[in-house]
Amino acid sequence: MGDTKPESELLAVSVDGRSVAVAQGTLVWDACEKAGVYVPVYCAHKKMEPVAVCRMCLVEIEGTAKLQPACATRVAEGMVVRTATEQVRKFRDGNLEFLLVNHPLDCPVCDRGGECDLQDFTLRYGPGRSRTSITEKVHFGKAIKLSDKIVLDQERCILCWRCVRFYDEITGEKEIVLQERSVKTLIDTFQGRPLQSEFQGNVAEICPVGALTHAKYRFQARPWDLRRTASVCPKCSYGCNILIDAREDQVARFASNDNPDVDDSWLCDTGRYSFPELNRSDRVLNPEARLAGARQTVSYQDAVARGAGALLRVRGDHGPDAIGFLASTQATNEEAFLLQWLARDVIGTPHLDHRLSALAGIAPEQFALGIAEIEDCAAVVVIGDEPELADPVLTLRLFKAATKLGREVIRQPLEGDPEALAESLTGKDLVGIVAHQEQRQAALGLAARLALKGTTTKILTIVEGMNARGCQDLGLTPRLLPGYRPAGTPGRDGGEILKAASAGSIRALLVVGQGWDEDPRFEEALSRVEVLIGITPFAGSLARHASVLLPGRTIAEKAGTVTNTEGRVQRVRPAVQPRYAFPSDLRILGDLARGMGADLGVQPLAGPVYELISQAVPGYRGCIGGVRPDWTLSA
Amino acid sequence: MTEASTASQPGVPVLNAATRERIERSKALYPSARSAVLPALWAVQEQLGFLAPEGLAEVAALLDLVPSEVEAVSTFYAMYFQHQPGRHLIQVCRNVSCGLRGSDELLRHLETSLGVEDGETTTDGVFTLEGTVECLGGCGGAPMMQVDRYSYENLDFQGADQVLAEIRERAVPSPAGGSHA
Amino acid sequence: MPEARVLTRHLGAEGLTTLAGYQTVGGYQALKKALVMGPEAILAELKASGLRGRGGAGFPTATKWSFLPQGVFPRYLCVNADESEPGCFKDRYLMEEFPHQLLEGVMISAYALQVSHAFIYIRGEYRAQRELLEKAVAEAYQAGFVGQGILGQDWNCELIVHGGAGAYICGEETALLDSLEGLRGQPRLRPPFPAIKGLYGQPTIVNNVETLSNLPYIVSEGGAKYASVGTESSPGSRLFCVSGHVERPGNFEIAMGRTTFRELLEMAGGVWRGRSLKAMQPGGGSMQILGPQHLDLAIDFKAVADAGSALGAGALVIMDETTCLVDVSMRLVDFYQHESCGKCVPCREGTYFESELMHRLEAGLASTEELATLADICATMDGRCFCPLGDTATWFVMSAYRMFPDEFQRHCGAGHCPVRAELETAA
Repeated sequence: MGDTKPESELLAVSVDGRSVAVAQGTLVWDACEKAGVYVPVYCAHKKMEPVAVCRMCLVEIEGTAKLQPACATRVAEGMVVRTATEQVRKFRDGNLEFLLVNHPLDCPVCDRGGECDLQDFTLRYGPGRSRTSITEKVHFGKAIKLSDKIVLDQERCILCWRCVRFYDEITGEKEIVLQERSVKTLIDTFQGRPLQSEFQGNVAEICPVGALTHAKYRFQARPWDLRRTASVCPKCSYGCNILIDAREDQVARFASNDNPDVDDSWLCDTGRYSFPELNRSDRVLNPEARLAGARQTVSYQDAVARGAGALLRVRGDHGPDAIGFLASTQATNEEAFLLQWLARDVIGTPHLDHRLSALAGIAPEQFALGIAEIEDCAAVVVIGDEPELADPVLTLRLFKAATKLGREVIRQPLEGDPEALAESLTGKDLVGIVAHQEQRQAALGLAARLALKGTTTKILTIVEGMNARGCQDLGLTPRLLPGYRPAGTPGRDGGEILKAASAGSIRALLVVGQGWDEDPRFEEALSRVEVLIGITPFAGSLARHASVLLPGRTIAEKAGTVTNTEGRVQRVRPAVQPRYAFPSDLRILGDLARGMGADLGVQPLAGPVYELISQAVPGYRGCIGGVRPDWTLSA
Repeated sequence: MTEASTASQPGVPVLNAATRERIERSKALYPSARSAVLPALWAVQEQLGFLAPEGLAEVAALLDLVPSEVEAVSTFYAMYFQHQPGRHLIQVCRNVSCGLRGSDELLRHLETSLGVEDGETTTDGVFTLEGTVECLGGCGGAPMMQVDRYSYENLDFQGADQVLAEIRERAVPSPAGGSHA
Repeated sequence: MPEARVLTRHLGAEGLTTLAGYQTVGGYQALKKALVMGPEAILAELKASGLRGRGGAGFPTATKWSFLPQGVFPRYLCVNADESEPGCFKDRYLMEEFPHQLLEGVMISAYALQVSHAFIYIRGEYRAQRELLEKAVAEAYQAGFVGQGILGQDWNCELIVHGGAGAYICGEETALLDSLEGLRGQPRLRPPFPAIKGLYGQPTIVNNVETLSNLPYIVSEGGAKYASVGTESSPGSRLFCVSGHVERPGNFEIAMGRTTFRELLEMAGGVWRGRSLKAMQPGGGSMQILGPQHLDLAIDFKAVADAGSALGAGALVIMDETTCLVDVSMRLVDFYQHESCGKCVPCREGTYFESELMHRLEAGLASTEELATLADICATMDGRCFCPLGDTATWFVMSAYRMFPDEFQRHCGAGHCPVRAELETAA
């Protein structure tokens, strides 16, 4: 809650004898939390309106005859709240007994076991003895596949309404609804039809019990076997904060890790359920090098020495122009920065990129609008379907702006008339424009039209790929140096690099990441070059064709930072240990440079490299914990 | 006669023009179209005899809602049928006032004379017997039963049998046009 | 004289269900008068009448009206005709016998409150009564008492009869609003109260059928005269439903505060079959039990509250000496279990647990520990549910248990209902 107001505007509330000062409008539940008093609740959820249906959070408030729901009652000056009285204790015990009247005793086979609020609260506040054995339990459907992602157990449902409210308040899709009434009330879809939403996983996450579970996590692990690490979802450029739950060397699931400025605690299914990609078994486990025509396992030092030697040889024979660098967008900022340093400063080639198509005329202004700032715009124009297809969680922010804040959200088809649109938006305080990078000309055009009419605009450009934005910011592009300074000699973009490689003018390639196996030009180029240094975690054309192959890390194994589409710098942390004992991608790049006689000046570790980034791009300084760089500093 | 037995064909609306017209009229009547959900469901039930899923989906389309919302509403209310009941619905009130004046005995008598349990439909499909209902507001004439829309009060066994015999004899739909709505 | 003639003052006149019939007894003159008086004068008369809501809670009607925020439009009026309280059949009677009196009351209120739409939410089971009302509404539209330019004045108000579909909970005013909005009829969180944010999020007044049926009298005869029918603490008259073990069940209009339960019982012919009174419920199925010792209590809000019960929706249910109160409790608990909207845990699960135990108790299968559990369940529920439905699901049971503890205890482990067994032995 916004307690940043001056002291005089705060209300004094006492919770179990502890005094707290909270803003007007604060819920008693939040005031209790602030006072360090935990109040159990099932139905309340910070992102949704209070409903007060579970009654778990009833507390005593001096001056009111009945117990009051802490989750739905607003504080008043001088309010005295008591949560630990005999009356409250007895009610919690009784209410938990009610919840158990019709709850199946299948904890041993329930996926929620160990992290179930019903288990936890019963243990802490509930009856020690069952008096419900004499009653017949009401039976409902079990293990209903609502989709290939979500499994529903209607008997375990305690009807907290979170999933129903999620589908009503957060997505508006209303896929899961309440049906029937009384003790027969249940949650279901229309005629049991499958869920279609892109946001289904959230309902399993917010379910306080084992009613809605993830199909992909079913019977996979127990929570106490999992190690939890805060990181960033790798699937797109939105930068949703996640918690990676890992069991040994496997990622068991992604969970959300609320960042109100980015994901607002919601994940899309594309991202959430992308984790099996990280568990692929076809890992590159050993350094290899091509010796006398055949690839063989070599030592790490040997592989690095051979790689550095090969690059120097090609440069010596054909000049730096004969060498190209490519990295996928899962490269961290530190890797991207080191890679562009390696290309430009160590080798001296301008041919480097993180994408296969050209990207001209990008500038920080095209990223002025922050994700959360969408809520501050009087109107938001989304150009085409591409932004929401690329970064699905954007849809939820737009829905929130429209429904909770009354903002006008306009989805402008690509073929729409920009002048008519500009006309209709004239006079608005602030118009946000959201466009995919490929349609940024349309965004700029609309902004120019609105500027002529005196309307202020801010653009949010959606880039493609997890750290595409960081790669751009830090100069892993052929035309721009770190911080969007123009390169003296523009190089070839990714597509041109592949073309030149196929044609023979580029003779050596260094490729980091998973590459572009879906693009036939990629394999074609790889098969043609004399020297191919590949740093990659998985089997694929890169691993197949590399003359020097080094095991790379997945995003779940890396430390460093990435930058999301709005420019926010966020940390990724290693959540699982790689199954081999070889250095990180960053260290490999540093060792290659050293092998070519270059000195980075610092250790190739995320922290020191970020310091180098901050020197090159001043806006990045101090942004490591989720801050958007101020681009006026870098000008 | 009800039309629910006619199997629905994909793409062909199950709601006839008159029902759709009624729903459109309701929609126009209220300040918000959603308020027409209950009247619309009544219209569907009067046409089909119960709330077939296709009917729910068509109501949703007519009122700019999603089908799940309409189903959520329809299953909340006890008088909307999810399955086809008998042609006439007999409701025996067994709340406190009727209970004090012999409604349990009346229900047991009707179960015997109709040969069905509480909640079942006679094999000829003429009567559905319901003994679990809200207080029907006939406490002044307890015990009572409601058959379709009509109350029959101060009933003894013979009186109840006679009422049902007359309805069966008429062998016509009740005056509402075939439904208990 | 305990009997009163306010709501029933035209009883016996011909053709009251038609507009023409109603007009022959002066119908719609009060509406005409109201339009001359203006909203403020109407409110003043209402205040003077001391009228309290007849739906169950007994909240002063004028006070409720005064909660409407100034200058916020549109506003709505909802008439609660979802009469479903066990033992209650007065609104049905008023709609069957005096539909135009209700409509006139509604339009007077609609004018006083400056609403654009008035809705009559009538329970689904009252299908025949709904059709009667719809006919009356059509007549009123035709005659220019409803619609555009009412009585030639610059005042428009639509009147819509809205049928429910079988849900006791829709008698709770916020559940009624959700149901009227086309949702599941479940109570809303308060605040905001309907007067501030009600139907479609706009200021809304919800009043009961009987409450509004009094308006024509109050406007034509004056609030003071209405009030004087009753007493200071319980002004006016009231239609009381008497049912159960009486000779002549029915509706009786009585002067509030001036009539005792004994007098009301006598109007209904006394306890049937020459038997004696064992217990009575003064306010419908939801209210606590009273005993023969309360017969001489005045039917007065305060007197009944002091005796530990309430007048509720105005229904007196009489139980004679043969009644098994465990059986009656079970019946009522089953009703609440069936009608629980399922929204909150204590009501949804509590009524179920309660009902399961009541069935065991009535069958003589419950142990004394289970009887103690039943009392615990009720204590957990009462006052902790989202709305009064769950709370009231415990009131009759617990009050009966308090008044007849032996009867409850004798059921424990008996293997059958001891009350019925004794009756059968005696017979």
